[in-house]
Amino acid sequence: MEPLNWFEIITRVFIQFIPVWVALVVVFTLSMVYKRRLGLYGKLFDSTIGMIGFALVMFWVFTGIFGAMDLIITHDPLSQVSGMKNKAPGTPLAGAEEGYYPYYLFGGDNLARDVFSRMVKGAWVVVQIAPMATVFAFMVGITLGLPAGYYGGKLDTFLSFLANLILAFPVILLFYLLVTPEIVDTGIPNYMAMVLFIFPIIFVGVLLNSRYRTQPKVRTPMLIVVLGIMGWLYLSLISQPGTALKLLPDAVDLFNLQGGILVVFVSVVFVNSPTVFRIVRGLTMDIKTRDYVAAAQTRGERPWYIMLWEILPNARGPLIVDFCLRIGYTTILLGTLGFFGLGLPPESPDWGTTINDGRRLLQVYLHPAIVPAVALLSMVLGLNLLADGLREESLRD
Amino acid sequence: MTDDYDGPILEIESLSISFFTRLREIPAVMDFSVKVMPGEAVGLVGESGCGKSTVALGVMQDLGKNGRVVGGSIKFKGRDLNTMSQEELRQIRGSEIAMIYQEPMASLNPAMKIGRQLMEVPMIHRGSSEKEAYDRALQVVTDVKLPDPKRILDAYPHQLSGGQQQRIVIAMALMAEPSLLILDEPTTALDVTVEAAVVELVKELGKKYGTSMLFISHNLGLVLETCDRLCVMYSGEAVETGSIKDVFDEMQHPYTQALFRSIPLPGADKNARPLRAIPGNFPLPHERPPGCNFGPRCDYFEAGRCDATDIRMAEVPGNDRHRTRCLRFQEIDWQAPMEAGDTTLKSEPGRVVLKMDNLKKYYEVAANALFGKRGDTKVVKANETLSFEARESETLAIVGESGCGKSTFAKVLMGLETATDGQILLDNRNIESTPIEARDTQTIADVQMVFQNPFDTLNPSMTVGRQIIRALEVFGIGTNDAERRERMLQLLDLVKLPRAFADRMPRQLSGGQKQRVGIARAFAGNARIVVADEPVSALDVSVQAAVTDLLMEIQREQKTTLLFISHDLSIVRYLSDRVMVMYLGHVVELGTTDQVFAPPYHPYTEALLSAVPIADTRVTKKHIVLEGDIPSAMNPPSGCPFQTRCRWKSQVPGGLCEKDVPPVRQLGDGHQVKCHLSDEQLASMEPVIQIAAE
Ligand SMILES: Nc1ncnc2c1ncn2[C@@H]1O[C@H](COP(=O)(O)OP(=O)(O)O)[C@@H](O)[C@H]1O
Ligand code: SF4
Ligand code: SF4
Ligand SMILES: [Mg+2]
Repeated sequence: MEPLNWFEIITRVFIQFIPVWVALVVVFTLSMVYKRRLGLYGKLFDSTIGMIGFALVMFWVFTGIFGAMDLIITHDPLSQVSGMKNKAPGTPLAGAEEGYYPYYLFGGDNLARDVFSRMVKGAWVVVQIAPMATVFAFMVGITLGLPAGYYGGKLDTFLSFLANLILAFPVILLFYLLVTPEIVDTGIPNYMAMVLFIFPIIFVGVLLNSRYRTQPKVRTPMLIVVLGIMGWLYLSLISQPGTALKLLPDAVDLFNLQGGILVVFVSVVFVNSPTVFRIVRGLTMDIKTRDYVAAAQTRGERPWYIMLWEILPNARGPLIVDFCLRIGYTTILLGTLGFFGLGLPPESPDWGTTINDGRRLLQVYLHPAIVPAVALLSMVLGLNLLADGLREESLRD
Repeated sequence: MTDDYDGPILEIESLSISFFTRLREIPAVMDFSVKVMPGEAVGLVGESGCGKSTVALGVMQDLGKNGRVVGGSIKFKGRDLNTMSQEELRQIRGSEIAMIYQEPMASLNPAMKIGRQLMEVPMIHRGSSEKEAYDRALQVVTDVKLPDPKRILDAYPHQLSGGQQQRIVIAMALMAEPSLLILDEPTTALDVTVEAAVVELVKELGKKYGTSMLFISHNLGLVLETCDRLCVMYSGEAVETGSIKDVFDEMQHPYTQALFRSIPLPGADKNARPLRAIPGNFPLPHERPPGCNFGPRCDYFEAGRCDATDIRMAEVPGNDRHRTRCLRFQEIDWQAPMEAGDTTLKSEPGRVVLKMDNLKKYYEVAANALFGKRGDTKVVKANETLSFEARESETLAIVGESGCGKSTFAKVLMGLETATDGQILLDNRNIESTPIEARDTQTIADVQMVFQNPFDTLNPSMTVGRQIIRALEVFGIGTNDAERRERMLQLLDLVKLPRAFADRMPRQLSGGQKQRVGIARAFAGNARIVVADEPVSALDVSVQAAVTDLLMEIQREQKTTLLFISHDLSIVRYLSDRVMVMYLGHVVELGTTDQVFAPPYHPYTEALLSAVPIADTRVTKKHIVLEGDIPSAMNPPSGCPFQTRCRWKSQVPGGLCEKDVPPVRQLGDGHQVKCHLSDEQLASMEPVIQIAAE
């Protein structure tokens, strides 16, 4: 068979992505039709920048989802096909059997794996980890930023100092330290995980308690159920067989993260939460002077109710924008980590690791590195444009 | 330049301005005409959103990205501004038309010394030398009566008080000797006594320089004091224009009439002669009714006629350039007395529910925030020996300007702060040192507050109903959600809001409606004492009347004690039973409303009364302008707190005013003042406000 020319490659890639196109068209049509009823999300569709950003982000989100369902990929991302090592894009599979996709659309990598399928599978890793890690960073930043801004004084001085200390620490060095086997053996990453991951529980617990304080009959059962489930998830998450923290017997340990992913999570949360902390703290200091906060105080509301129900919802605009930006940073950070071979396992298809793999032969074979690099770039660009669009639209009217 | 031009300075004809949003075109101003002659001051009054500022921005040709003049002409000295090039406009804007905004800091560069900012004006527009510019700057700063002009020129804007900043902005506008000065609510952000001084200054300078003025305000009293002619706007249109005398005394438009009937002029009384609020709401620019915009709220509306066609301005025969936009103005009997509203019986104050005894609140602040050593603190005396009693179903007004300690007092009463000394007795229980966390639910529910800023009083991300239900939950009212929801709907009825509002978000409500929700929330736990902190000062006049009446009505029904904090003496006179005047943390005068509003006065009360603009041509006021600003509470003057601005000080022998804090003097019948003046001197005071006999 002849190798494909560029036009054919593009056509075939386009066809592979058909589920994504369909999903995008559906989302955009529905959103455009109902945009007046969808609040800030709907307003996004008035801004060209915002729409482009949203489309880019959703492209990768759908790619991730469908890829995880094995829809878009042409080959197994881990299987190696002999003779396809470092082959150029569009190379036909030598002696392809029936039922196999006959081409490596974006060529083969150093280990003769399909670059296209790895990129698609990598999207799933990125789309899962980056937002989750960012959510955790927000939980920590919010839970500490609210009281710092609300009470001020010594608490604020102390927490702000801590935040600045962490921000002053070189990120990459921190990662290197965290993944060094000696340090992993001491269990420091696990202990950090223990501390950082407890914040979502505190957050949700305080949120519900403050809201239902006046109705103990509703509150107590609700808290028991929610905190019970979260506590179980928490213990499953932090307890790892074979590490310093072995809290749960295997029978009730719901899941174990691959060691690398836990470290990635811990590091990302650790370096992102101080910035979130500072934003939340500033917004809180501003909003706490509003009359509705005074009104809540004069009817005897407890401080945490005021912070979580009166202040936080009104700080959401800037926080949503920052959330988008921060997913972008985190994606780059994951890429950087992968590039240095830190964190995720070496065969992981995530973009950072793939770029690192392709780097060694970059001067000879460009495609194994350039494909994930473009993917990373377009996703981060999309997130930044989305954040810009949201910022612009939330300021209008 | 046509400096010998003697026609109108500004001539706006059939001006229409629209804003274009992505949803629709918003016609902000329609068919608007006004003429400003040389040396004339024209007032532009109307409620917020009626298009006053848009007219001003239209004249400045500064309508932003989405605003456009869609019809008519704006002629400045005979030349149409709409057709001028950017270059010509820039030339005119800097040197011939100047504008002063509500917020002084909006016009000042915070990073540049005052002197530099002032000197730039002639240096850029006239190419003056540095020396000339400096002399001119010194000259205008002296003209705007700022103390120590040299020092001021060397200061940064943030080192000055709000009143001083506004004077600098005026000085800056005058640097170029413009022929037209546009003032958009120039004193709204200032205290009354400072406002009076600034207005006085503007008037004086207008005369001195022969500047024409377009004075935008929502305050009819202020317009009466400053302008020769006025133009009343409603919903994007001018509805009546004419000379002050014609419009105030022979108004020819139902809206103007309704406006005057809704403001508390001397003589109005909450029981015998209640105010009449204008029914209904201001229409949004895209929801204007057909025909007359005022139709749905007009008492004289005639179906089939008023809503048939657009209505043009018509000349009122016999008067000088007096025009009105009403079809029926010649049929209406303008002399007919206002039909009396529901008069009510004066409610008798009951037993004492709240007693303050020598209450003191001092704050300790670090004298130097950055390098403050321990113990190196300053004491701010926010409240100094406050003593008074408040009875059931009584309205006690607390009057004073910014920094007088009103808010601190409210905080201590609510339990957000604890008192430094003295006591607060609620039903004979001491609560002065119980912070709010330690108060029981009943005490908290009993003492509630209504806040000043309607745009800030409700949580923007919670529905109206939810916010009221939350208060009910906290106060332990109702056993389940259904009961509380029912009670919440009743509370909406109480404040005369439709029940459908329960599911609305605050941003969907107008200012007055939000304030009503705030009132409903305060009364959720059947409050017995309500502190209302300037509850209507941020609302439009026509809405003020409605909200005030609502508050009075609820008070009458529930026998609430109302502590009404305000700086607006007109409304205080209208609704309060007793008045307490505060200055820099001291109670300087306390008495019944009649006692406080009639001589003998405390010298500060006298000045305050003189400063409040009254929209009635029959009223003559004694002219007392206070020098300077209110001293900072951080650094109060020695002796009498008012001594830096008091015009009676010289009458007290031996410099006593500067040495000793005056004692509280009883003048009989519970009337007390804090002043060194002798009984004879007090007795010699003349009334400040006099109403000419009809
Ligand atoms: N930039 C703008 N975009 C859209 N609508 C505007 C804009 N500026 C003013 N408006 C609308 O024009 C009307 C008149 O406003 P304005 O001139 O500010 O009134 P006023 O000064 O009398 O309070 C209002 O309904 C307001 O909402
Ligand atoms: S035209 Fe009719 S509705 Fe309009 S103000 Fe006159 S009487 Fe009232
Ligand atoms: S004590 Fe003296 S300074 Fe104070 S108000 Fe009386 S006269 Fe004026
Ligand atoms: Mg305005």
